[in-house]
Amino acid sequence: MSITLNDLILVGTKLAEGFNVTLQIFALTLLFALPLGLIISFGSMSKIAIIKYPIKLFIWIIRGTPLMLQLLVVYYGPSILFGVKGLSNFPAVIITFVINYACYFSEIYRGGIESVPKGQYEAGQVLGLKKSQTFFRIVLLQVVKHIVPPMSNEIITLVKDTSLARTIMLYEVIWAGQKFITSRGWLWPLFATAVFYLLFCGILTLLFGYIEKKLDYFN
Amino acid sequence: MKKLLSLVLALCLVFALAACGGNTEDVVAPTDATEESRGTLVVGMTIYEPMNYEDENGELTGFDTEFAKAFAEKAGFDGVEFIEIDWGTKFIALEAGEFDCVWNGMTITEEAKLNASVSDPYVKNAQVVVVNGEKAAEGLTSIEGLTVAAEMGSAGAAAVTDSGVDCNLVEVDVQTTALLQVATGKADACVIDITMAQSMLKEGTDFDSLAIAMELTSEEYGVAFKKGSPLVDEFNTIMAELMADGTLDALAEKYTLALVK
Repeated sequence: MSITLNDLILVGTKLAEGFNVTLQIFALTLLFALPLGLIISFGSMSKIAIIKYPIKLFIWIIRGTPLMLQLLVVYYGPSILFGVKGLSNFPAVIITFVINYACYFSEIYRGGIESVPKGQYEAGQVLGLKKSQTFFRIVLLQVVKHIVPPMSNEIITLVKDTSLARTIMLYEVIWAGQKFITSRGWLWPLFATAVFYLLFCGILTLLFGYIEKKLDYFN
Repeated sequence: MKKLLSLVLALCLVFALAACGGNTEDVVAPTDATEESRGTLVVGMTIYEPMNYEDENGELTGFDTEFAKAFAEKAGFDGVEFIEIDWGTKFIALEAGEFDCVWNGMTITEEAKLNASVSDPYVKNAQVVVVNGEKAAEGLTSIEGLTVAAEMGSAGAAAVTDSGVDCNLVEVDVQTTALLQVATGKADACVIDITMAQSMLKEGTDFDSLAIAMELTSEEYGVAFKKGSPLVDEFNTIMAELMADGTLDALAEKYTLALVK
C-alpha cells in the first residue's frame, strides 16, 4: 500500500490529539508526584514507628504490584466493592500515576537525602541553625544535584508508562494509533506513535543534561 | 451480462445433472412411498464457519452440517450430500433443481422469501443492548442519551453508529470490557453480540445481574427450499421436534450460536 499526504495528515492529527492526552497525564503526574514523593520520603525516614512502618508497607505494595493492576483497582474497585459509581477514567489515571510515581520518587529522595554526610547537620547545629533551616538551606540543594540522574531515568519511564492509561479506555496516543487498525486496517499509525515518544524523550534528555550542567558549580 | 452467462451455465449444469440422475435413481423412486425410497437430501452450501466448514481432518462439519444430517435422518432420507454452490446464483440453481435446499446460515431477507420457500428461522444473530437488571425491568426502547460501551471496530459499535441515535459511544478494547463498564456503572449500556451476551450473562458469572434489554439489529437464519416445495412444512415440523428434544440446543452450545425459540 502507499501512504498519501492526506493519510499522513489525518493520522498525524489523530496521533497529536492522543499525544496531547499523554502529555496531560505526564505533566499532572509530575506536578503532584514530585512534592508527594518528598513527603513520603520523610515518612519512610521518620523515627516514629507508627509513621515509618505503615509507609514502608505502602511503598512495598505500590512498588510490588503492576501499575496496570493499580489502574484497574482505582477505576473499577469502588464500584465492584461498594457499588458506587467511582471515578471517571481521567482522574483515575492521574490518581494512580501520582501515587505510584510518588512512591518511586520517595525512594530516590531518600537515597539523595541519606547521601548527605551527617557532619553537615552537626555543622548546622553548631552554627545555631534550626533543623529545618539546615535542611532547606544546606542539604536540599545537594540532594537535588544527587538525584537528577535517577530522577531523569524515572521521568523518562513515566513518558512511556502513560500508554497504560489505555487499559481504562483513556484515549492516549497508542489508543489513537491502534484505532486505525480497526477503522482502516492500517498498521503503520500504531508504529508511527514511536516518533512522538522519541521526540519528547529527546527534549527531556536535553533538558536534564542542561540541568546537570547548571548544578555543576556545587563541586 | 454476467447474470445471463451464469444463468446459461446453471441451466447447462441442470441438464447435465438431470441426465445423470435419470439413469440411476428415477427407476427406483416412484414405485412406493415408503421411507427408504427418498434418496439423498442434496444441500447447497458454501464453506462458512461455524455453519459448514472442514475440520482438521478435512471432514465437513459445522452447525448446519450436523443439523442437516439430523434432519435427513428423521425425515427418512438415505443421507445428505453437500455440494458447494455459487452464493450469488443460489436461487436460480435452487429453482432449477440442482439441489434441494440452501442451508448455510442464510439470512432471511425479502429477496429470499421472493425467490424461494423459506423455513422458519432457526438461528439468530443480533447486536443486543445489555443494561443492569433494574433498568431492563423498567423496559428500554431506545439508547438515546445513554452512555453506551462497545468494542472498538465491532459490529456492535457499527450498530450504534448506524442507528443514528444520539448517544455517547465509549469504545473499549474487547466485548467483555464493555460488560464490565455496565456492571460497574461506568456506562449505562453496552452493545455486544447476542451469543456473547447469552454466555456471559448466565447464572454464576459476575455479570448475572445484567440483562438484555433490546435488540439493536437482528438477523435470522433460515433454510431455503424450492418455491412451493412441500419439504418446507416437513422441515418446520421436524425442526420443532429437534428443538424440543434438545438436539439443537446441544448443537448451538457446541458452535456458540443463539437459537430462535
